[in-house]
Amino acid sequence: MLKSYLKIALRGLVKHRVYSLINISGLAVGMAVALLIGLLIHYEFSYNRFLSGYDQSYQIYVNESVEGAIESSNAVPLPVANALRNNIPGIRYVAECDWMQRHGLMVGEQKLYLSGASVGGDFLKIFRFPLLQGHAETALSDPYSIILTARTARALFGDEDPMGKSVRYDNRFDLQVTGVMGNIPSNSSFYFQYLVPFSLYEQSAGWVRASRTQWENYSFQIYAALDPNASREQVSSRIRDLIQDNSEGKVNFEPELGLYPFKDWHLYNEFENGQPSGGYIDYLQMFGLIGLLVLILACINFTNLATARSEKRAKEVGVRKAIGSKRKHLVTQFLVESFLITSLAAVLSLILVYAILPFFNDLANVRIQFPLDQPLFWIVLLVYTTLTALMAGSRPAWYLSSFQAVKVLKGKITTGRGTSRGRKILVLLQFSSSIALIIGTMVIYRQINYVQQRPVGYDQERLMMTRMTDDLNDNYQVLRNEMLQSGVVESVAWGSSPITSIFSRIEVEHWPGKTGDTPAGGIAFIRVTEDYFNTLGIQLLQGRNFHPDWQSDSTSLIINRAAADRFGLEDPVNQTITLQGGDQGTIVGLVEDALMISPYDPVVPTVFAHGQWGASMLYRLRPEVNTQQAIATLSVLFNRHNPTFPYEYEFVDDTYAQKFRLEVLVGKLAAIFAALAIFVSCLGLFGLATYLAEQRRKEIGIRKVLGASLSQIWLLLSREFIGLILLSCIIAVPIALYFIQRWLAQYTYRIDIGPGEFIIAGLGAVLITLITISFQAIRAGRERPVESLRVE
Amino acid sequence: MISIHNIAKRYRTDEVETTALNGLSLEVKPGEFVAIMGPSGCGKSTLLNILGLLDEADGGQFLLDGIDVSRYNENRRAELRMEKIGFVFQNFNLIDELTVYENVELPLLYNGIKAGERKKRVEYVLDKVQIMHRRNHYPTQLSGGQQQRVAVARAVINQPAIILADEPTGNLDSQNGNEVMQLLTELNESGTTIVMVTHSEHDARFSHRIVRMLDGQTVAESVLV
Ligand SMILES: Nc1ncnc2c1ncn2[C@@H]1O[C@H](COP(=O)(O)OP(=O)(O)OP(=O)(O)O)[C@@H](O)[C@H]1O
Ligand SMILES: [Mg+2]
Repeated sequence: MLKSYLKIALRGLVKHRVYSLINISGLAVGMAVALLIGLLIHYEFSYNRFLSGYDQSYQIYVNESVEGAIESSNAVPLPVANALRNNIPGIRYVAECDWMQRHGLMVGEQKLYLSGASVGGDFLKIFRFPLLQGHAETALSDPYSIILTARTARALFGDEDPMGKSVRYDNRFDLQVTGVMGNIPSNSSFYFQYLVPFSLYEQSAGWVRASRTQWENYSFQIYAALDPNASREQVSSRIRDLIQDNSEGKVNFEPELGLYPFKDWHLYNEFENGQPSGGYIDYLQMFGLIGLLVLILACINFTNLATARSEKRAKEVGVRKAIGSKRKHLVTQFLVESFLITSLAAVLSLILVYAILPFFNDLANVRIQFPLDQPLFWIVLLVYTTLTALMAGSRPAWYLSSFQAVKVLKGKITTGRGTSRGRKILVLLQFSSSIALIIGTMVIYRQINYVQQRPVGYDQERLMMTRMTDDLNDNYQVLRNEMLQSGVVESVAWGSSPITSIFSRIEVEHWPGKTGDTPAGGIAFIRVTEDYFNTLGIQLLQGRNFHPDWQSDSTSLIINRAAADRFGLEDPVNQTITLQGGDQGTIVGLVEDALMISPYDPVVPTVFAHGQWGASMLYRLRPEVNTQQAIATLSVLFNRHNPTFPYEYEFVDDTYAQKFRLEVLVGKLAAIFAALAIFVSCLGLFGLATYLAEQRRKEIGIRKVLGASLSQIWLLLSREFIGLILLSCIIAVPIALYFIQRWLAQYTYRIDIGPGEFIIAGLGAVLITLITISFQAIRAGRERPVESLRVE
Repeated sequence: MISIHNIAKRYRTDEVETTALNGLSLEVKPGEFVAIMGPSGCGKSTLLNILGLLDEADGGQFLLDGIDVSRYNENRRAELRMEKIGFVFQNFNLIDELTVYENVELPLLYNGIKAGERKKRVEYVLDKVQIMHRRNHYPTQLSGGQQQRVAVARAVINQPAIILADEPTGNLDSQNGNEVMQLLTELNESGTTIVMVTHSEHDARFSHRIVRMLDGQTVAESVLV
């Protein structure tokens, strides 16, 4: 029986090629999109969950109330670590950690500059990265030890066994390799390439040692693992007031500690009201919704085409029923057909996904592998195909099998008004979602564009940055002179933060005209050289720049406009403010705001001071020099004055562009998915128009005999659809508006939504529809009437 | 009124070529009622389709009211059809989705006639073909004879100079057939030129002249009256 069903279904496929092609390709695209998004979601959800015991691992974070809002941060005071270890039941392991920055690693002639972490001894018990060599228990007990990832070990030692060998660290310490760990997979929030003991960090930097007892110094990361039977809620409530209880009233902003689950770091990367509440997960949900939507759109095509074709099949049904076929046989037969088509589409979609996965990985910056070797994948695929077949095929099967034999044989069945209404509702669904997607995509693009056009307050062109090491600080003046003399750079400066982020924030305790007792928190504090502002092209608005001799100028401060606004100072020059810790400074200048962190947020109020030690060297190439040659020249100079590190540099405009990475990615994906949704919808519409034109062929012929012109026929066939599309626009607008407003709300610096996108999307949809339908309408209209009248 | 000369029409389908009309000539004068007869497949419908500008000839000359229309494109043909010609088919060719009234009104709509005028004219012809009481019915709810009367009403609504009828009684019993023939005769008496294809000698006798065809050519003519 099944064989006979399959045979009939296959013959039907071959016989109605256009129909089959539209169906299979539409479904295949829909299934491919859903599959791809499914793989993406699966990948993103696998983040951090590949480590055993990931469920008990947490980062300690702190919430502070700043001006009525809660600000969350993962920078916490160091004494928290010991307090957790010694006083809090339910906590099993605690590990201190630095900010995982880059350091120099040197073995013989081999120099690397890689990100690594200084971690407390229990780090590998909290995050159980398996060691290929060495013992996790003891590998970090000696301060002068280092654990390398396999990749780092290979880069430093080649094929030699690295265990027990020595690595020169920042050209200051010789560390012994005590362990080799597997490479960190791409779906990990950690990205370090080696681990060194936190004890080394403590021994080598006096300020770190001093921090052990400073409850107001938020400069470290701390991780913890809970006892397997302890709950996050219990432990959270025990640690909440740790800072306030221990600091004897010395800290401001009511800090409260919390536990940030390791498994949520990637997906819930944004905090709201002191809790991890969303972030990347929101985009994944959006993509999940889009994937499902595109799949549904493809299923709608199938359903619509099948019911549209049903009049042609009515006779077949009648004959079958007359010779004794029961309804359930017919339902089975139509479902077998739908399953066949869906299976073909599934195979095609696998091929499609396989082909585009490499490009998708690049585009979305992920490393998804096609899990073809996993039985679970095939099971999921089978279930997925079956569900799709049911979703697409059940309505036509039900509808077709309900024809009554007598009526169809007498030719009395015509398009039921009900089915054509059903079809219209489905088309409506397709087009309203497609239009909403177009609108959404356009808004995302406009927002990205708007923010990218936002003036940054300094000049990014040909501006480069290099992180400063001790050697670079020591040799700065000489290096600077040589750089200027070499003729490739026009100016050189440094700051204690790169221009694209803020390393240090302080509180300003007092300023003229201050009301109340709370200090102003979250003020950026940057030490700079006197060349800083002119090197960057930041405009001096009032007062003067720093003097070249920093010692005579050590209490002078320059503030930006945002800071002046924050303090309410109309004429800030010559005013005195008191910084955290009681140091007083005099404002000597006011500069234009420069955008250093999020381009979506307001500029951070910033206080600049003159200083001696920099973290980031900033220099601008001369416009006429060739970049390649300039870098070659510079690398000679840097290697001379910073011999233990490779010459590394960033172009500021590239680094700045990174800030849009997620939004640009979302924009691209949304555009692709929207385009596919429209493609699938149009495919369906094309099929539907073909069938309707064919079904009405005779009527069209009669109308032409009676004098209808081509344009009248066109209008006859297109009118219904245009009405549907216009209605779709009306439905799409509020839906799109709802999602757009929610999305835009997260940005302070954002566009206003005007009618532009809506009008363009609506017109676009009408145009696409017209083109799709007109093809058929014009064909029908041009046909000589005698042809169509012959159709019986 | 109609003058065709040496008209040819061939159909090509998968290797087989059929000559439907083979150098046929015919004159129809204004006000004439011509019947065309001949065995099945001799090209009668083909001829009528060409006369009605529904189809194009492969060769020959076609003058309608003295104007050569053989090179007209589809849009100009549509205009001419609307202006001059009414059709009645063997299988009625009513649009199932429209009511009797709407079917008859359709040519007026395409002709751009105003609503008030349309109503008057549709009601007048429906009355004349005695189908007024069924004006809001759909074609599938009518008998064959009633459907053909509606088709005739629709053919004359634009007051065409010519009516082309292809076996108008072919699907009707003799009672209904006679009613339709009666209608056509009345139309002819009021001045409409009629060309009618028929297999029925009885029906042919309503005409003024019978043209007999064989294998795409006219073979004989007999003048009645
Ligand atoms: N579209 C077509 N394609 C191929 N051959 C055709 C086509 N239309 C008509 N013919 C052929 O042309 C010839 C004339 O057909 P036509 O329909 O004019 O005959 P007829 O005289 O009207 O016959 P009947 O009395 O059966 O209606 C026939 O041999 C027919 O098979
Ligand atoms: Mg015929």
